[in-house]
Amino acid sequence: MSGFRYERPGTLAEATALLAGAGGGARILAGGTDLMIALRGGPQPTVLVDIKRIPELGAVRWTPAGDLEIGACVRVQDVADDARIREVFPALAEGAEAIGSLQIRWRATVAGNLSNASPCMDTAPPLLVLNGRLRVTGPQGTREAPLADFFLGVKQTALAPGELVTAVIVPKPAAGLSSAFDKIKRSYGHDLAIVNSAAAWDPAAGTLRVAIGSCAVRPALVPALAGVGPKSDPKHAGERLAALAQEHILPIDDVRASAEYRREMTSLLCRRLAARLLGAGRTS
Amino acid sequence: MSLHPITLTVNGETSTLEVPANRTLHQLLAEDLHRHEVKSGCYIGECGLCTVILDGKPVNSCLVFAVEADGAVIETSAAENGEPGTLSDLQQAFVDHGAIQCGFCTPGMLASARALLQRNPKPARDEIVEALSGNYCRCTGYQPIIDAVEAVAKGGYRAKPAPTAPYVGGEANRVDAAAKVTGSATFVHDMVLDGMLHGRILTSPHPSARIKRIDVSKAKAMPGVKAVLTGADLPYKLGLYMEDKDILARGVVHHQGEAVAAVAAETWIQAKLATLAIEVEYEVLEPVLDVHAALKEGAPQVHPGLADYSWMKGVFFPQPGRNTAHHQKIRKGDVEQGMAQADHVFEFHFQNPPVQHVPMETHVAIATARADGEVEIITSAQSPFTVRTLFCRTFGMAPGKVRVRVPYVGGGFGGKAGIHLEPLVYCLSKAAGGRPVKISATREEEFNTLPSRQGLQSTIKTGVTKDGRITALDLTYLWDAGAFADYGVNVGRAAAYSGAGPYVVPNCKLDSLVVYTNKIHGTAYRGFGHLEVLWGIERNMDMVARALGLDPVEFRRKNLLRVGETTITGEPFTAGHGRPEECLRLVSEAIGWDAKARAATPVAPGSGKVRAKGVAMLHKAPAMPTYTSCAVTILFNGDGSANVLVSGVDYGQGTYTALAQIAADELRLPLEMVRVPWDSDTDYTPYDWQTVASRFSVMGGNAVIQAAKECLDQIRSVAGQALHAPPEQIECGNGKVWVKGKPARTLDYSQLVLGYTYPDGSSIGGPVIGKGRYIATGLTNLDPQTGQGLPALNWTYGAHAVELEVDTDTGHIQVLKLVSAFDAGKVLNAQQCRMQVIGGVVQGLGSAVMEKFVFQNGRLLNNSFTDYKIPTAKDIPAEMQQFFVETPHPQGPYGARGVAEHSMISVPGAVGNAVANATGVEFFELPLDPERVFLTLKRAAEGKAQPVKTADPDPRSTRVPPAARK
Repeated sequence: MSGFRYERPGTLAEATALLAGAGGGARILAGGTDLMIALRGGPQPTVLVDIKRIPELGAVRWTPAGDLEIGACVRVQDVADDARIREVFPALAEGAEAIGSLQIRWRATVAGNLSNASPCMDTAPPLLVLNGRLRVTGPQGTREAPLADFFLGVKQTALAPGELVTAVIVPKPAAGLSSAFDKIKRSYGHDLAIVNSAAAWDPAAGTLRVAIGSCAVRPALVPALAGVGPKSDPKHAGERLAALAQEHILPIDDVRASAEYRREMTSLLCRRLAARLLGAGRTS
Repeated sequence: MSLHPITLTVNGETSTLEVPANRTLHQLLAEDLHRHEVKSGCYIGECGLCTVILDGKPVNSCLVFAVEADGAVIETSAAENGEPGTLSDLQQAFVDHGAIQCGFCTPGMLASARALLQRNPKPARDEIVEALSGNYCRCTGYQPIIDAVEAVAKGGYRAKPAPTAPYVGGEANRVDAAAKVTGSATFVHDMVLDGMLHGRILTSPHPSARIKRIDVSKAKAMPGVKAVLTGADLPYKLGLYMEDKDILARGVVHHQGEAVAAVAAETWIQAKLATLAIEVEYEVLEPVLDVHAALKEGAPQVHPGLADYSWMKGVFFPQPGRNTAHHQKIRKGDVEQGMAQADHVFEFHFQNPPVQHVPMETHVAIATARADGEVEIITSAQSPFTVRTLFCRTFGMAPGKVRVRVPYVGGGFGGKAGIHLEPLVYCLSKAAGGRPVKISATREEEFNTLPSRQGLQSTIKTGVTKDGRITALDLTYLWDAGAFADYGVNVGRAAAYSGAGPYVVPNCKLDSLVVYTNKIHGTAYRGFGHLEVLWGIERNMDMVARALGLDPVEFRRKNLLRVGETTITGEPFTAGHGRPEECLRLVSEAIGWDAKARAATPVAPGSGKVRAKGVAMLHKAPAMPTYTSCAVTILFNGDGSANVLVSGVDYGQGTYTALAQIAADELRLPLEMVRVPWDSDTDYTPYDWQTVASRFSVMGGNAVIQAAKECLDQIRSVAGQALHAPPEQIECGNGKVWVKGKPARTLDYSQLVLGYTYPDGSSIGGPVIGKGRYIATGLTNLDPQTGQGLPALNWTYGAHAVELEVDTDTGHIQVLKLVSAFDAGKVLNAQQCRMQVIGGVVQGLGSAVMEKFVFQNGRLLNNSFTDYKIPTAKDIPAEMQQFFVETPHPQGPYGARGVAEHSMISVPGAVGNAVANATGVEFFELPLDPERVFLTLKRAAEGKAQPVKTADPDPRSTRVPPAARK
C-alpha cells in the first residue's frame, strides 16, 4: 500500500467533489475490511476518501412510510443487532450476522459489502428478495436504483465514475411478508459462503422469491414463484423453488467447492427456507 | 506521502503524532507506539491476533488505517494490566483455567473477552463463543479460554489456590502464564534491533522451472535497499538428514513458492517493492505432482543430483534416479504365509492430503553477521542447538562462533523443529555489511514457502482369521515429501516402525517410501506421521471388524499388543510399555459403547441428521536418533531460589512448568522459588538435541532430577560442616536444612547456596551448581533390509472415542463428545496434561474435518486463511473428556511418558469410524469436509461409492475392492 492521499470530507458535497476531482483514481473508504486487503498488492488509488465522518451517512432511519434507510457507514453488526430490523426484515439481520467475525462486523458496512460486489456477499440475497434499492450520489446528483440492477459481475457494479452509494433502502414490506436467510460454509467458524440464500414469502400475493449468492458472477435473484399461499405444502413449495433456482444459477468449481455441491446446496437452501417460511413459525 | 496529524488515546494515554496515509492501526500500535502485546498473523482480518478495542468495539487493527483512528479511544489487552505483579480477574482466570499455551493469541483473546464483558457483563456461553470465535488459537482448543471468560462473567472470581508440595502430579499453573497474559513475554515477532534491516523474499510462481535469467539491477537501485541476493550468490546445500535444499534456488526451482531471490532494505515496504523489481525469466518444466507419477520409470527427477548429495548414512536410504528420498522396509515373519493362514484378506486404500501446522507466530528470524566473524541468530525455532549444528555444517563454521537464541515461540507443532529462514537472514546480513536482518514470513509465505505436513497414500492389506486374529499385514505407505526431504525422511521412517498400529502382527511387510514431488515440502508435524498412517490403520480395523461381524472394540482388544508379544520391529512389549487395553476400556465406557453402539440413530425425523459413535487406538514413540541427549544446569540465587537452565524450548506445551515442578520437589523448594528462564541460548543454556517428539519432559525431567541431586549433595556437604553432622544426616525441606531428628535448628538455603560463612567470617563451600544429563541408551538403527531393531525410547498408548452427528443434507459433522485416554506413565501436571489433550484433539479435528491443501497444476490455491480454514471456538466438540492411565515407564522421570503429540493422533480415525457408522458409507480420504461427506453419500446412494461391508458368509472369497484411486 503506497502512494495514495487520504481525505476525510465532512459533507457529502465535499466527498463527491473529491471523487470527481480524482478522475477515477479515488476509492471510497468506509469499513475498509475489503478495501484494505485489495490494496495490499492490488492497484493503488490516488486518493482514499474516508466517508465515515459525514454525519448523514452514519444512521439507520425509518421513514414515515415505513421504509428502512441504512446509511452508507452503518456497520454490519449494527444491523444485526437492530431489533426492529430483525423483526421487520429478518433475512437482512441474519445475512448481516453471517458475515465474517465480530471484529469484521464491527467495521464492515452494508453499503460496502454491496459495493465490493463479491459474488458471496451475505447481505445481497436478503436485500434482493426484499426489493432493496440503493441511493447513489455523484456528479449528476442523487438517484435511486433497484439493487437488482446494481451487480454487473465479479467486483463490478453499475456505479458510474465519481458515484458513491449513500444509503441502502428497504421498502416497507407487504403485509404478512416474511423472510429468512441461510448459508452453507466449510466450517462452523467465520467463512465465506459456498452458497448463501435468502427468501421472502408474501402469503397474500402468493409469491415466494429467492436469491442465491456464490453461484454465479453475481447473486441471482430468481423470479418469484407464484401460487404459494398459506395453504401451500411447504415441502412441495421448496421443491418447486429449488427447481426454479437451478435454472438461474451458473456455479463453477473453485477452491471453496465444486459446482455440483453448490447446485445441491442451492436446492437444499431453497427447501430449508421454504420450510422455515411456510412451515411452523412463518415470521422468522 | 503526506503525513496526517492524529490524536488518539491508547490504554488511557493520549498521543498526538503524524502518520502516513497507508500506516495501519496495527503498525502504529505495534511498531510506532511499541505496544508489543498487539500481535499480527494474517493481515486479512481472519485470525484476530491483532484485535484491539476501538471505541468500545473489538476490531482487527490490521484492517484499520491509523489515520481513521484519529480521536479514537483504543484499548489493547494491556488495558487489563494493573500494578506490576498483579493480575486482573480476567487475566487470573486465563492463568487458572490453562487458557494459555504458546501465548501468541492470548493478547487478542483478552481484548475480545474484555470487549465482550464491557458490552455485556453477564454473557451466556454461546455469546462468549461468538465473541471469541474471531480469534484463532492453535494450541488450547478454545475450551479453557471459554471456561475462563465464563468464570469471570459469573462474577466474584476467586483465584485458584496456590499449589503445595509435592508439586509433581499436582495442578500448578504455567510458570510463564503471567508473562503471557500481561504481554510481557517477548517473541521474535516483536523484536527490533538497532540498525535492523527488513528482509523479503521473491518466490517462484512455477512448480518446476529452469531459471534462465535473473536481473536484480533495478532492485539494487531502489531506495533503502542494502542487499539483494540470488541463488548464484549462495553455493550451499542445506538439510536436516538430507542436504538437498538451496538457500535460494540455484538454476532450477523445485516448487511454487520456493525462494529465488531476497532483499534487505531499511523498511519492510522498501524490501517488498525491491523484490517486485527483480526480473526473473523462467523456462517452465514439466512438474511431477503426485507420488505415483513420481515413481514411474522415466519420471522427471526432482533432484537429478540426488546421488551426489550428502545424507545420514545407515539410517536413510535414498534411491537416486527414482525420486525416492528414503525407503524404509520392515519385514517380520513371512507375510505370504501369514496371508495364506488367513480366513479373509482385505485390501483398502486411504489418503491424507498435505496440511499446514499453522502456528500463530509465523516463522521469523533475525541474524547478525558480525565484523569479527561471529554470528548471532535470534529465531522462532524449536531447537536452538540443531539450528546451530546445521547452520555450522552448511557454512563450515565453528559452533563456538555462532550463537542461537530462542525467546518465547508462538507455536511450533514440529514446523519450527529444523532450520528454515536462519541461513538466508544471515546471508542477507553479511551482504548488507553486517547490519541485523529480520525476515518475518507472511501468512502466505508460511503456507507457500515454509514446510507443511506430507500427504500420504496408504495401501493396507490385512489377513485375518474368522474369529478376528490378524495373521498378516502388508502395508505400503507412499509419502508425498514435496521438493525437499527435511524431516520427511524421518517421518517415513518413524511412521514405518509404528506403521501397523498398536497391534500384534506376527507377519508384517511394510514399505514406506518418501517420494519427492514438485510441491511445498513436508516436515515434522505433531504426531510425526502417526496421524497419517493411523487414519488408514484405524479405519481398516473398523472395516475388517464389520466384515467379520465383530464388534470393533472387541476386535481391537483381541489384537492389542500385550506382554510377551513383539512389535513389528521385534521389540518385546513389556509391562513397562503401558496398558493400551485400559485406554480402550476407559474411552469405550465413557462414550457408552455397547453391542448396539455402531448403529446410527436418527436425531429427529426430517432433520437429515444421524448420530453415531466411533473409536480408534493410537501409539507413538519419539522419533529421534539413537544418540539423542539433553543437559540441564541448576544455579542458585542468593535468596536460595534456583534457576533451571535448559535449551529445550517451551513453545506452549508446558514442559517448563513440569520441569519447575520436578526441580522444586527434588530441591525441596517452594515452587515459586524455582525459575526456568525463558530464552534458550546456545551460549548460556546447556545442550539439548531438539524439542520435538514429546521427549523433552521425559529426557529433560531425568536431567533435572540428576542436577537437583548434585545440588542437594553440595548443600548437604556444606550444611553438614556448618551443623557438625555427616552429610547423610542432613535433611532438606521447604528451602531449609536441619540435622535428622533435630528440626529446631535450621539453616536456610540462602545461607548455603553461595557458600556458608561462619560467625567468625571464615567461609566454606561456594556457589552450588548442579548438572544433569540424559542420553537415550540401548537404541539401535533399524536393519536396512528388515527394519528390525530398537528405535524407540518410550511408547505412549492411547485411545479416542467420539459421538457425533452427521447432517446428511449438507455433510457437516458436529462432534458431540470426544473422550481420550492415554497411558501417561505418571501425570506430572494434571492441568497441563488435560490442556495438551484438549488442544491436540481440536487440532486433530482440524485434520479430520476441514484442513487440506488444494493444488491446481502444482500451484497452491489456498495459501491464506481465506481458504485454509482451521477450527475456531465454534468448531470444537460440545464436550471433551480426558483420562490418564499411570503405568510407570521404567526410564521416565517419576515414570512419565510424553503425551503432547499423542492427543492429535487418531482423532481422524475415530471421527471417520463414527461417520461410517452414522451413514453406512465408508470414507477413505481426509478431510471429511462437508462437501466430501455429502458427495460420498450421494455417490453411495447412486451405487457408486462403497457402503459399509457387513459380515460375509463365504470365507476366503471376501475381497473388498480398494476404493477408486485417483
